[in-house]
Amino acid sequence: MSLPVLVIAANDDWPTDRVVTELTGRGAEVFRMDTADFPQQLSLTGRIDRAHGWRGELATVHRTVALPRVGAVYYRAPGAFQFLKAMTGPEERFAAAQARAGLGGVLSVLDCRWVNHPTFMARAEYKPVQLDAARACGLRIPATLITNRADAVRRFAADISGPLICKPVASPVLIEDGRLKAVYTHRLTPDDLADLRGIDTTAHLFQAWIDKSHEVRLTVVGSRMFAAEVHAGSDAAHEDWRADYGSLTYATTTVPPDVEFGMRRLMERLQLVYGAADFVVDPAGRWWFLEVNPCGQWDWIEGATGQPIAAAIADELQGVS
Amino acid sequence: MTIPTPERALEAFPLSAGRLSYSAEEPSGPRTRPFVLRFARTPDSTGAADIPAHFYDTDRQVNLSYDGGLLTCMANTHSPTVPDGSTTNPPPLDEGPKD
Repeated sequence: MSLPVLVIAANDDWPTDRVVTELTGRGAEVFRMDTADFPQQLSLTGRIDRAHGWRGELATVHRTVALPRVGAVYYRAPGAFQFLKAMTGPEERFAAAQARAGLGGVLSVLDCRWVNHPTFMARAEYKPVQLDAARACGLRIPATLITNRADAVRRFAADISGPLICKPVASPVLIEDGRLKAVYTHRLTPDDLADLRGIDTTAHLFQAWIDKSHEVRLTVVGSRMFAAEVHAGSDAAHEDWRADYGSLTYATTTVPPDVEFGMRRLMERLQLVYGAADFVVDPAGRWWFLEVNPCGQWDWIEGATGQPIAAAIADELQGVS
Repeated sequence: MTIPTPERALEAFPLSAGRLSYSAEEPSGPRTRPFVLRFARTPDSTGAADIPAHFYDTDRQVNLSYDGGLLTCMANTHSPTVPDGSTTNPPPLDEGPKD
C-alpha cells in the first residue's frame, strides 16, 4: 500500500482539488490540511528523542496521519494561521511565530518527496536569485538593473540600445483605496524616464525590453516539461500577457535542447521539483528567460492546452517516473 | 533531495499571510510613492468572472459547487486569473502573494 500524501494548501485552492482528485482516484491516501486550520481545527503532536526521529501525528476531526508514514508532501500557498479572536495583537503575533516554528519546523524535516520544499521555494521566490541562477545555467536573460537610485536608472537607460521595462521585484498586487490593483510590466516612455521621483522609496527592477514573437509558459514537473506558446491578442497583453487574459491564445510547443538543458540545471540548482517559467521568444526564435515561479499557477494552462499537469504532479508525489 | 537543517527550515515556512491586507488608504504623493506604483491599475472588470458558490467537502477534501460536481478549470471561471478590482472576490492570480 502506498504511503499517504500530505497536501498543504489553502482550502479554497481549486487547482489543488485537481491534484487531490487525481491522487484519490488512483487509490492514494491523502491528508489535506491548511495552515489556516492550525491550531483550531488541526492538531499536531510531535516527539523526538535519541532513539527516534520525529514521530507523532497531524489530526483533524475527520482524519489522522502519522508523521513517519508521510511519503510525499504537496506544498502550495497555504493560508495564514488563525487564532482565537479574543487574542490581543501581541499575543497573536507571538502565537503565529510559535506556530510557524513549531508546525512549520516539524513538517519541514519530513524526509520524503516534496513538491516543493518550502525552504527552497522561499529562496527561489527572489527574482535576483532566479536571474543569477538562470545565467549560471546557461539560459539567456535580459540585462537587468535593481536599484533605488534615479541616476543609476538613467545610466542603465543610456547603456541599453532599446526600450526599458519596469516591473515589481516582488508581488505585483496590492489593495489600496479599497480596491485591488495590479502592477504589470510597463514599457517606459521618455516621459516616464524624465520624472523618476519615487525611485528612492524602495528597490525597483528595470530590464531591457526584448522584442517578442510570442511568449512561452514552461511548466516543469520533475523531469517533465510542458511548454505552451502564449500569443497576445492586444497591445496590453503584448507588453505583459497577465494584463489581458481574454486576448490570449495558446498552443503546445517544444523546448529547444539548449533551453531544456539549461532549465533542468536551473531546477536542480534551485532545488525545485515544480516550477512555472516564463520565456520571451524573440523574432529570431531565441528564448529569453524572465522568471520561474515555484508556486506558479498551472490549472488554466492545463485547461487551455490539455497538458496533463495535475497528473504529472500526482506522478511526482507518488514517485512514478 | 537534501533535507534542510531545522535551523534553515525555520527561516522559511511560507504562508500566504492571510492573502492581501485590505486598506482604504489613498495613494500618497510622487515623492513618497514607489515609482513602479504609477503603473498600478484596477484590472478591467469586464474580463472578470465570479467564483461560483461552493463549499469545501471535508470527506473528499475538495471544493464542490452547489450545483454539483468538482470545480474544474480554475473553479469554472474560465477567466481565472483576471481580477476585477473587488477585494472580496479576486479570483486566484497567476502571480500573487505566496509567502
